[in-house]
Amino acid sequence: MDCDAFRDEMMDLLYGEAPPAVAQRLEAHEAACPGCREELASYRRLRRGLAAWRVPAELEARARPRAVARPYLAAAAALLLLVGGGLVLRGSEVRYEAGRFAFRLGRGSGPAEVQTELAAQEARHRQEMQGLRLSLASSRRGDDQLLRTVQEMIAQSEARQAGLFTAGLERLEERTEARRQYDLAQVGVGLSYLDGKAGLQAARTTELMGHVLQASQKR
Amino acid sequence: MRPMAPSDEELVEQFQQGDSSAFDALVRRWDRKVQGAIYRLVGPSEDVRDLSQETLLKAYRGLRTFKKEARFSSWLYQIALNVCRDRMRRGRGRSYVSFDELTDGGESPGEAGRSALELIESRDLSRQVAAAVAALPMEQREVIVLKEYQGLTFVEIAEALDVPLSTVKTRLYRGLGQLRQQLIRQGIRGSAPVPAPTS
Repeated sequence: MDCDAFRDEMMDLLYGEAPPAVAQRLEAHEAACPGCREELASYRRLRRGLAAWRVPAELEARARPRAVARPYLAAAAALLLLVGGGLVLRGSEVRYEAGRFAFRLGRGSGPAEVQTELAAQEARHRQEMQGLRLSLASSRRGDDQLLRTVQEMIAQSEARQAGLFTAGLERLEERTEARRQYDLAQVGVGLSYLDGKAGLQAARTTELMGHVLQASQKR
Repeated sequence: MRPMAPSDEELVEQFQQGDSSAFDALVRRWDRKVQGAIYRLVGPSEDVRDLSQETLLKAYRGLRTFKKEARFSSWLYQIALNVCRDRMRRGRGRSYVSFDELTDGGESPGEAGRSALELIESRDLSRQVAAAVAALPMEQREVIVLKEYQGLTFVEIAEALDVPLSTVKTRLYRGLGQLRQQLIRQGIRGSAPVPAPTS
């Protein structure tokens, strides 16, 4: 392999895309040719330098999955699992028989036991529902708190904007006044200059008229 | 054991069979990469997110008729490149990365735990590299961004740009040569001038 052929395929070697046989030939040339070896090395250094260019963090930020927005939904799901799991553990079952769903609560429970069990279950459900209500209420309180925080942030932002706007207006007013004063001074200077020029012209005219008058009297 | 994530091509297939959620998965997989490519092609501006959105919207519209003759990644980058070129042609975006507007953009991954001096040097180098890449002709810049920063294979780049493989390698070779010269001028270590490839 000569140097031209090496350069033709050097990019494959640089980026690790050369097939093994080609890579072997390229590496053999690299080992034997100091010029090509140095050139390839310089490209490797360049690549390390190029890695310094990073995308800003805000573009790097990976979108995270949203947290559960409503904690009471999670609590409700947990309750369903709890009740279902409890029923399964106590030997209850749901069966599909003769075209109908059949539900059996517990293992071989008699009517009195079933009533006791149902009452206990109902008490537990009521307790858990109460817990859910409290959870829901606290979630609403959390929402209200969040709303208040957002409103405060908006108010602060508006106050900052208003402050910046007022300061900007004041600066504009100062600049305008300074400009006005400067322009007035310029006009004043201009008028004085014109006055002076007009006065000089009048003096010259008077002088000229004097000469003319004297000349006419001599005749 | 976690189930293997479906490939792009499988997700495309699912989408074409009516599963819209497959497109969400593709967006989650590609959104950041597309934004990174656009950022490096058009420079730091608020346009990056707009252009990325435009790219994904066009992909959504075209995905039902996507023929799968090329890889999805190549096809998506092709759309992104066209969106960037359109924006530059319309003159609403800049065709170069502005040196002055290269902001730090917050802490980049890998910066945590480094000294202030190291951070400054790193950010300065980042600016210099960005400026050097921005100074390249667009066709070389595209190849360098896709290869060096997006990690596409030569074949994928050839598909995205719709040019022969040899053209991709020539553009890359010349672009890297120019970058090396530019960075040497800026005092960053490089090497001897690069002759043009014969292919």
